[in-house]
Amino acid sequence: MTRFLAVLMAMFFAVTVAYAAAPAPPTDVVATDEPNDVGNQVQLTWKGSAGGAAGYMIFRKAVVGDQLSGASQLESVGETATGVTEPVNPEGPDGAVRIEDLSFADDEPIAAVSGGETSYLDETVEAGTSYMYAVQAVSATNEVSPLAITEKPVTPTWDWINESKLWFLFIMLTISLVVILFVMIAKSGRPVKVRKIAGLEAVNEAVGRATEMGRSCLFVPGILDINDIQTVAGLTVLSNVAKTAAKYDAKLEVPTARSLVMTAARETVQGSFLSAGRPDAYNEDDIYYLTDEQFGYTAGVQGKMVRDKPAACFYMGAFYAESLILAETGNAIGAIQVAGTAMPSQLPFFVAACDYTLIGEEFFAASAYLSGDPEQLGSLKGQDMGKVIAALLIVLGCLFSTLFVLTQSEKLGEISAYISENILGEEGLELNDSQRENIQAQMDQTKAVEARNKSMAELRQSILDRAAGADGT
Amino acid sequence: MAKAYTPGLLVTSNTRHRSRRQLPIKGEVKVSVGDQVQAEDVVAETALPGDVHPINLANQMSLPPADVPECMLKKEGDPIAHDEPLARSKGLFGLFKTTVNCQHEGTVETVSPVTGQVIVRGKPIPVDVHGYMAGKVVEVLQEEGCIIEAEVAFIQGIFGIGGETHGKIRVAVGSHEQPLAPDDITDDMSGCVVVGGGRMSVASIQRAKAVGAAAIVSGGIDDEDLKNFLGYDLGVAITGRERVGLTIIVTEGFGEIAMAQRTFELLKTHEGREASVNGATQIRAGVMRPEIIIPLESGSGEAAGGAHEEGLLEIGRAIRVIRDPWFGMIGEVSGLPSEPHVLDSGSKARVLEVRFPHGETAIVPRANVELIEG
Amino acid sequence: MTTALDPEKIKVILATDCGSTTTKAILIQYVDGEYRQTHRGEAPTTVEKPFADVTMGVVNSVTEIGELANRRFIDDDGKIISPATETEGCDIYISTSSAGGGLQMMVAGVVREMTGDSAKRAALGAGAIVMDVIASNDDRRPHEQIQRIRDLRPDMILISGGIDGGTTTHVIQICELVAPAKPQPRFGSDYEMPIIYAGNKEARDSVTDVFREGGFDLQICENLRPVLEMENLGPARDKIHDIFLEHVMAQAPGYDKLMTWTDAPIMPTPGAVGDILQTVARIQGINVVGVDIGGATTDVFSVFDETFNRTVSANLGMSYSISNVCAEATMPNVLRWVPFDMDERQLRNHVKNKMIRPTTIPQTKEALMFEQAVAREALRLAYIQHKEFATTLKGVQKQRTVGDTFSQESTGDTIVNNMKLDLLVASGGVLSHAPRMHQTAMLLIDAFEPEGVTRLAKDSIFMMPHLGVLSAVHPQAATQVFDRDCLIYLGTCVAGKGLPKPGKTCFKYTVKGDTLNESGEIRGGDITMLPLEPGQTATIECDPARGIDLGAGPGKRITKDVQGGTVGLILDGRGRPLALPEDRATCQATIGKWIEGVQMYEEEAVAV
Repeated sequence: MTRFLAVLMAMFFAVTVAYAAAPAPPTDVVATDEPNDVGNQVQLTWKGSAGGAAGYMIFRKAVVGDQLSGASQLESVGETATGVTEPVNPEGPDGAVRIEDLSFADDEPIAAVSGGETSYLDETVEAGTSYMYAVQAVSATNEVSPLAITEKPVTPTWDWINESKLWFLFIMLTISLVVILFVMIAKSGRPVKVRKIAGLEAVNEAVGRATEMGRSCLFVPGILDINDIQTVAGLTVLSNVAKTAAKYDAKLEVPTARSLVMTAARETVQGSFLSAGRPDAYNEDDIYYLTDEQFGYTAGVQGKMVRDKPAACFYMGAFYAESLILAETGNAIGAIQVAGTAMPSQLPFFVAACDYTLIGEEFFAASAYLSGDPEQLGSLKGQDMGKVIAALLIVLGCLFSTLFVLTQSEKLGEISAYISENILGEEGLELNDSQRENIQAQMDQTKAVEARNKSMAELRQSILDRAAGADGT
Repeated sequence: MAKAYTPGLLVTSNTRHRSRRQLPIKGEVKVSVGDQVQAEDVVAETALPGDVHPINLANQMSLPPADVPECMLKKEGDPIAHDEPLARSKGLFGLFKTTVNCQHEGTVETVSPVTGQVIVRGKPIPVDVHGYMAGKVVEVLQEEGCIIEAEVAFIQGIFGIGGETHGKIRVAVGSHEQPLAPDDITDDMSGCVVVGGGRMSVASIQRAKAVGAAAIVSGGIDDEDLKNFLGYDLGVAITGRERVGLTIIVTEGFGEIAMAQRTFELLKTHEGREASVNGATQIRAGVMRPEIIIPLESGSGEAAGGAHEEGLLEIGRAIRVIRDPWFGMIGEVSGLPSEPHVLDSGSKARVLEVRFPHGETAIVPRANVELIEG
Repeated sequence: MTTALDPEKIKVILATDCGSTTTKAILIQYVDGEYRQTHRGEAPTTVEKPFADVTMGVVNSVTEIGELANRRFIDDDGKIISPATETEGCDIYISTSSAGGGLQMMVAGVVREMTGDSAKRAALGAGAIVMDVIASNDDRRPHEQIQRIRDLRPDMILISGGIDGGTTTHVIQICELVAPAKPQPRFGSDYEMPIIYAGNKEARDSVTDVFREGGFDLQICENLRPVLEMENLGPARDKIHDIFLEHVMAQAPGYDKLMTWTDAPIMPTPGAVGDILQTVARIQGINVVGVDIGGATTDVFSVFDETFNRTVSANLGMSYSISNVCAEATMPNVLRWVPFDMDERQLRNHVKNKMIRPTTIPQTKEALMFEQAVAREALRLAYIQHKEFATTLKGVQKQRTVGDTFSQESTGDTIVNNMKLDLLVASGGVLSHAPRMHQTAMLLIDAFEPEGVTRLAKDSIFMMPHLGVLSAVHPQAATQVFDRDCLIYLGTCVAGKGLPKPGKTCFKYTVKGDTLNESGEIRGGDITMLPLEPGQTATIECDPARGIDLGAGPGKRITKDVQGGTVGLILDGRGRPLALPEDRATCQATIGKWIEGVQMYEEEAVAV
């Protein structure tokens, strides 16, 4: 199939351009093993045919041995066409020939590329097998050049380490180590300092307020189902709120918009009342299902709020347009409100209308914060370290890029390229030549732009000067 | 010259002592004026109101609190047994009734329509007050207790652990300076008040406890030993309620310190006699010191009045220094300068001059001595 | 009690304070057109057996004054002579009392952090010791709460809870715990336990029902937390004072007699101290912290922005509770303030001996240094407790804007701010009887860690309680004596907040004054003293190093007037929070250096 296509392409090139002489062969054909792969790729590069070519055809042969003995690198198809090749190496892979016997005479090209290309990535090789490649220029009139054969066979190998991603490895190891370290620290009983999350500290206060005022607490677990991670996080907070409510002997109501959430919330609250030592105070009728309809639910909750005037409202989960409706109602009835959501579009409403808001990450960190479990605290702390590293790299990258543009210092350019392409990209541990060239190109471009700007400025000045001179006279 | 008041610990061979035996709440007094009582006799008894168990019926039956009284199967004042039905809800059309059984035995005390809470009071807890000290009842406090009087030898300790007990006095050491070692305590000291000389160690306390001694008395104790024995560090000196198996009394203080010779001699003369001991100490307002009371044969004469006026510091009075650097040493007052004196610490204080038995004298702040009374 | 005399005619004022160990009497006389405190006397308190009559101690202390003033105060019947003549008696006699353990109360609220704390504040403000706070959320099961109420023997109980129109259920629940528990009062068995109800007004009838039987004396007053956003402690405090006089005092031995002697109601000592400090803070417009370290307890008073707070650290004291201080602070923490080695076993025995013989005084320098080390820890712990209690109200709804997204402050933060503190007043034996004023100043600085510019003073002879009562009877006399005789100014402390690098500049200073003109720099870890006599003032200009705050913000220059005192001007570059080296030897050297820096003990005292 490939072969058929190749021929077809070749014929296509052939018909597009009429009659010409045989093109010059490409030179400097080099095949290299593509690094950082599982051994299935070989990169082939060459210099284009002297007179230009409409396309190139690529040939490949599995070989045994490592040197092309005596044979000329340039070989005309016609000259060797008559030779008979036979498989003489039983140990080699199927179809492999001894290198001395190399000939591409009977082969169909494995691929064809257009005349502008000077490289080809062969992704159909097998690791551990040696290959020789040949490239042939094809003219528009379907004339072919002699084959240009690689000097040495190439053996793709399986790389155990993808060096281009070594930085990822380092960063991952660092973060993992930090997580393990913090887990160990937390387990050893040393206090792990977690930033005070005012919103969670405020649970006691809000429930206390409800108790003193003789009113109930309202907990809204969002409008999405239990399969949404925010709802799950919300239930974690619910268990804490319920425990506090049980301790204070305050009434807690949980209207839900999904039946499954209701069931889960009932389990959660019951467990909390039990662990607070007041199982008798648990009343499952206080956790009920309203409707799946977004605004039906909102209207239901809002009505409840206006009638019962709860003194503490918690909104923990996924919210959409109802966020502001609920939070504003709560504010109007004078409740202490604590919200938590990872919906970026709803956060501003909650921040403005509620007393305390858990923002995105804080919301998810709540379970670690509330449980005080060393594993959770440790990983929370470790993840924070990861965020610190990420933030640091962003800041440094921006800084060096800016400095590079301003100063045009090559060193700074290298640093900024290193951060963005090596540490964060896939360029491995060291800067390579193409990156350097890139930097050089950027600098040249800047210089060119500057030069042009300068000449434009001079031109404008001279025009202005001339105009001024004309005015003066 | 103003009188200087320096309270000390009372150690006397013969005094008329009154012991007030009182119930915590009103009850029945079992003795009358003129009765002769023994230490173990019950002189008054009462029953403390039982433990209180609140039951939140409104929650348990999912009812508004105001409906709770209607659902009660027991009225206020009714006795109730364990697992007996306490209340039953009316249910829906006579169906789905919830019954709540009482988990406690006692009496229904109150039913609250505000909180929906029912309070069940458990059985009364009997309280007996014993005579503690053998003697004669001289006064009966109506429904509260009585006052027992006896002629006794009376020794105040400085610090004690544990409450009231009594037993025969057994002196376990040869001199007032000899520390109380575990080996000094023999198996036949069970139920006795064991008297040592110098410091008692944690091992000797453990030993005394093992043989079943009622109390152990000695001159000093190491703080570390006390902590080890109690299992915690004593923060404030308010004791008497510990349940450690025996009563401990220290007569002089903490550290390596011998019992005052007089105290030791007094205990030795009364060896074999029954003594009442109380370790309760309260060094606060309403100070209480531990005490050893040895009732004497009645009619052995009037209580001998002290040669000195009580609590008065005079030249020639026997005193004990109660602070470093001469902590625990006993001497007599040899001078009472009226002008304040500057101490080594730099502070100015009223002092006195004390002469120790070997003849040397020292200047000591008046606050740092106590009289040996009796 | 007799009715107050015409203030014009009051020339001789006798005041006593019956403390738990000593009764202190002072004499204030009208001399050359102003009131001055002229003499004082002291005698052991005699509430306990064998005396069991507080008036004996009063008579003893007054007799001592009489001898000193050459004036007869006690007549042949053993009563105080009043009114005054040329050579005899006094015009008015007033007294405070903390004997018999002071006023001991149990308080209850619905939520511990809200009405529970408000009730506690009311009780503490009235001068009581709060034995326990019962609340719905105090983590105790009802039967445990009942057991606790039974074990306590308070003088009275304050119940609050619920805002007006708020919860009744919780309040009644608490009442239903208290009523069957039948707490026994400390004194007298036929005494009805006074209960003050200062909670939700809508629950009053139900509360009355609950306490109708069972021998309670229920008194109802205004809700002390009518809304969560506001406290109204005044009525409850007044009620506590009334009951203190009518019920509690009347039961304590000898007080019935004493009450007939005085011309103004006897006040609980701490309540009187609070009164005088509030007056001073209001008149001078300053923030004040006062501390009274006693044998059993340590009281801390603070007035910040006219908000008064008082805490009692029940088991932090220098004699009865000394062992507890060592246990709570731990021995290594105490010993870090001592510049030489001490044998720990001996020390522990020494501490316990002080506990069982609380009246002894240190005779040697080493004993003094150790006692002052314990004092630092007691004060430090008491101040930590105070900071935790003196907070803004909890349970208040907040108004937010989007700008608050990342700075959502919670309520209930402490209002104690050492940077804003202007005056620190010390009283209590170990502070006011320290042989050198420098020691008192150093104890205050080490324990309280004042920041910025703070004036230090001590109550010379613990006169504040007397003046607190006097201010109610004769404000003119009280303020005059307070200004002239009560406080002894120790000097001013200038300390940087932040952690300076040891040996590097902490701040540079220039002092200009009549007698003192100096400039220099204070290095990190150093503390030094400049002489500035009492009554003199100077202007100090300080340039703190980066990160060091002297009141104007980190690294910003301050210029302030400073007052002198018996110690002078103390420049403290040790940083805040104060950190001592962990290593024992280094720590001893550091402390030794600091002690030398302020000449805390006279030369030979720094023997190692």
